[in-house]
Amino acid sequence: MFEIRQDEAGRVVVSGRLDAAHAPEAQVFLDDLAGHCVMDMGALEYISSAGLGVLLRTHKRLLADGAGLKLVNVNHHINDIFTYSGFDKLFEIEAAPASG
Amino acid sequence: MRQTFKRSFDELRNIVAMTEHFFADQGVDPSLRNVVDLAIEELFVNMVKYNTESAEDILLELDLQDHGVKVSLTDSDVERFDPRDIGPVDVEAPLADRSPGGLGLYLVLKMVDSIHYEYRDRQSKITFVAYGKRTDV
Repeated sequence: MFEIRQDEAGRVVVSGRLDAAHAPEAQVFLDDLAGHCVMDMGALEYISSAGLGVLLRTHKRLLADGAGLKLVNVNHHINDIFTYSGFDKLFEIEAAPASG
Repeated sequence: MRQTFKRSFDELRNIVAMTEHFFADQGVDPSLRNVVDLAIEELFVNMVKYNTESAEDILLELDLQDHGVKVSLTDSDVERFDPRDIGPVDVEAPLADRSPGGLGLYLVLKMVDSIHYEYRDRQSKITFVAYGKRTDV
C-alpha cells in the first residue's frame, strides 16, 4: 500500500511502500508541484530504486526553477539507502527523531 | 517456501505478502525484512524489465540459513545476466550528472551479505543471503 497527499501546511506526506508498482503514481502527483517542497517521510516504510528515481527526477526539476525537494522525518532504514545511493549529498535531509 | 509470480510489477504486493508470511512463520529477525524485500524487488523488476523474451513465471524461493535468509530467484528461457557484472555506479557524482535508474542492482550488491549466480539450459538463478542479528550468542 502506498499513499501520497499534501497536508494543510502544503507538505507532501508519503506513507507505505514506494516501490516499482507505486512509483508512477508518485511521479504523477509530484509532477504537479512547483516551488520549494518538503516531503514528510515519517510514515514511509520502504523505498526501492524506483522510488529513488522519482525523488531524483522531482528534485532536479524543482532545482531547475530555483527551488528543490527537502526530505524530513526519514527513518533509519531509508536513511541508510539514501547514504548508500549518495542521496545524502544531493538532498537536504532531516532524520526522524530517535524512537524509544 | 516457494512460489511463482507473473512477469508484472503488480506481483510486488504478492511477493511482499510472501516475505511477510515467511518472516512471521519462521521467526526471522524483522530488521532484515527491508533488505530482503529491497533485494527481491530489484532483482525481480530487473528480470521483468530486461528479460522480455520470456513468458515464463519467475520462481521465488525463501529458506532459513543460519541466522539469516537465503533467497533465490529463477528466471527461465532467458539470456545470461550475472548481476555481479554490472559496471560501477558513481554515487559521489554531482546532481547534474545523476539520472534516475541504475541504482537497483548496485543497492542489492551493497546490502546483501553474499550473492551467487548460476546459468544453465537458459535458466538464470540468482541466490543471495542476508544475515540478521544473532540471538543465540
